[in-house]
Amino acid sequence: MSWALRRRILLAGMIPASLTARAAIAQAWPAQPIRLVVPFAPGGTTDLVARLVAAGLQDRLGVSVIVENRAGAGATVGTDIVARSTPDGYTLVMSNIASHAISPSVYGGRVRYDAVTDFSHIALVITNPTVWVANPRSGIRTLQDAAARAKGPSGLDVATSGAGSSNHLMVVRMGQLIGKELNHIPFRGAGPAMQAVIAGQVPMMSDSLPSAASHIRQGSVTAVAMASAQRHPAFPDVPTFREQGFDLASDSWFGLSAPAGTPAPIVQRIHRETMAFLAVPETRARFSELGGTPGDLTPEGYADFVRREVAAWAPLVQASGATPD
Amino acid sequence: MDLVTNLAHGFGVALTLNNLLFCLIGCVIGTAIGVLPGIGPVATISLLLPITFGQPATTAIIMLAGIYYGAQYGGSTTAILLNLPGEVSSVVTTLEGYKMARRGRAGAALTIAALGSFFAGTVSTLLVAASGPLLTQVALSFGPADYFSLMLLGLVISAVLAQGSVVKSIGMVVFGVSLGMVGTDVQTGQQRFTFGIPELSDGVGFVSIAMGMFGIAEIILNLERPEARSVMSGKVGSLMMTREEFKRATPAVLRGTVVGSLLGILPGGGAALASFGSYMMERKVSKGRHEFGTGAIEGVAGPESANNAASQTSFIPLLTLGIPANAVMALMVGALIIQGIQPGPRMVEAQPDLFWGLIASMWVGNLMLLVINLPLIGVWVKLLAVPYRHMYPSIMIFCAIGVYSLQNNVFDVYQTVFFGIFGYLCSKLRLEAAPMLIGFVLGPMMEEHLRRAMLLSRGDPMVFIERPISAGMLTVAAIALAAMLMPNIRKGKDAALAEGG
Repeated sequence: MSWALRRRILLAGMIPASLTARAAIAQAWPAQPIRLVVPFAPGGTTDLVARLVAAGLQDRLGVSVIVENRAGAGATVGTDIVARSTPDGYTLVMSNIASHAISPSVYGGRVRYDAVTDFSHIALVITNPTVWVANPRSGIRTLQDAAARAKGPSGLDVATSGAGSSNHLMVVRMGQLIGKELNHIPFRGAGPAMQAVIAGQVPMMSDSLPSAASHIRQGSVTAVAMASAQRHPAFPDVPTFREQGFDLASDSWFGLSAPAGTPAPIVQRIHRETMAFLAVPETRARFSELGGTPGDLTPEGYADFVRREVAAWAPLVQASGATPD
Repeated sequence: MDLVTNLAHGFGVALTLNNLLFCLIGCVIGTAIGVLPGIGPVATISLLLPITFGQPATTAIIMLAGIYYGAQYGGSTTAILLNLPGEVSSVVTTLEGYKMARRGRAGAALTIAALGSFFAGTVSTLLVAASGPLLTQVALSFGPADYFSLMLLGLVISAVLAQGSVVKSIGMVVFGVSLGMVGTDVQTGQQRFTFGIPELSDGVGFVSIAMGMFGIAEIILNLERPEARSVMSGKVGSLMMTREEFKRATPAVLRGTVVGSLLGILPGGGAALASFGSYMMERKVSKGRHEFGTGAIEGVAGPESANNAASQTSFIPLLTLGIPANAVMALMVGALIIQGIQPGPRMVEAQPDLFWGLIASMWVGNLMLLVINLPLIGVWVKLLAVPYRHMYPSIMIFCAIGVYSLQNNVFDVYQTVFFGIFGYLCSKLRLEAAPMLIGFVLGPMMEEHLRRAMLLSRGDPMVFIERPISAGMLTVAAIALAAMLMPNIRKGKDAALAEGG
């Protein structure tokens, strides 16, 4: 215990920016546990996928990979911590569509990191559609039911993993299509939000498919609509938004990133091990069960992808008028 | 039987080598600080927090829990042998225990203290295991409004039960809640009360507050007092109880277990309240009540069982509702949150290893404590010979390193120093730190639930009164506050707390 601490202090002391020292660290890496920050509360897709990846990397790297949930403010709180960490390959973040594409626009000047330049992006891990689910006792089975409820006297409450998530934007855009603003109830992650829907405190939720998948299969929530272009192969019974007359589709994505300036050999190594983990048949099977597609981008490719996403979402957020409050 | 399978799973977790080792470390440290007067479990746990972060959450909590209930065992040793309560909760043990020692029955007193604690520990472990999942079911039906009111009640009770002026305690609660507001707002990303200091954007450091207010402040206070040493009088004598002593102690242990288990669950309750409650009860109802004051074994058996039972059942509100009943539990919440685990009703389902592993480890720990305490009593007594002037500087250095290593940031050390000095001033002004810490831990959660409740009710505050659970909590909170305004009850409470320590 105290040994690990002491070693960490020693290592931190040796980090002066000299290149030789850096190279030495890169060669000895990994020599201590790696921290993988999940910027949402436990139980959501980011958390779920992070824990899968952490277990995979742990086997391959031979050191423990500890998942740490730092939730809040549309995933920007935890992400900001990583942006300001030492770029030594021992602190990573589960970057995602909220933290690295939408929240920077939704929260504007309150986000202090730059989603592109403040990170060494490593790998895209999973892409998946958004799904809308309802409490089985809420009486909402179709989007028409939802629209009717929204236009009724009490309106419709919709839970999400937080303001600034792609799920939040779906709530705003859906409200515009219905012609009545939906009552957005943000949580610190999909885990607590799903709990509230199952308990019946909130009738409906806009969620990323992987975290909702097991609850849909267990029947604890009803899948109302899938925000994909075609019906999803893992859930062929769930109609799409388009089929139900609402022209919406939304994918969310999740990946691995480190603070900017992380030595390239370390980035390459993590990328290689992540790709190897994603290629294992068991991982593929688990991902398709969750309704997600494994990523296959190089570190440069993923950095490019993030850059394009940030640029693409800015006008959409502007047009939707989505705000954190 | 679900309970049996779950407990079996828990023992599977608790009996892994690493967890056993940390359970043992926790129990040994707990016994040590229980023996040493001045350093209590709250201070120790807050000082040791940084060490636990390198460990998995389950292991960390197992060790911290071991310190808490271990201290209840250790505290009785010096209380009986030296008339020196190592812990607040063993103050009442000195009353009869030391008298027994003067009569040459120290061995019997120590034995009943350990056996009673073990019995109470076993019963309360089962109680936590059985009631946890049930209460969790209840907790799941709680909406945001209910949670808000429950937390408000928790804060009110923690202020009401604190020593001294209720107004001061409420002030400390409010101050704690305000400290909890510092940092980035989780909903809007707005920086609040950070004064442009980037280190504050993540909030005031929980470890710094805990370590400063409890650890450092307590050390400063201890340095102020002259070193008091008393010499052990007489020998321990035979550890065996006579048949008559055993017959008298048994019902006291049973009563103490019940009283302790109940008082442990109450918000604001805990080991100290339980041992005092049990002592009062024994003095009134036990067969040997005429002997009280001359070394009645019931006066040792009851309170010692009660404080151990309470230290374990006080985990129930934490594990099922995520609400800390006392300062030690507030520290546990902090430790869990830093590990990325939000204590609450989902924990049984989402973290079965932690939940059942912790419960099983409590029983394993109690067994260890029995072995650590009875045959090794001589070793523990020798611990008292270590001079404070050697002990305190090493603790301080160790703390500074621990805090620094959290984020390799010297700002955390400054924060700790600040809260250390602030904590010292607070105790000089008779301002209790525990309500502040509970406010700090509960504040942000309360805010989140308040906002969500208001969002769902579309801004109508009546929701807090319309929901029966919420209305019930608010009523109890109002009654508790009103009761404290009545001079008679307040006097009664102060007298009780003064006598109970």
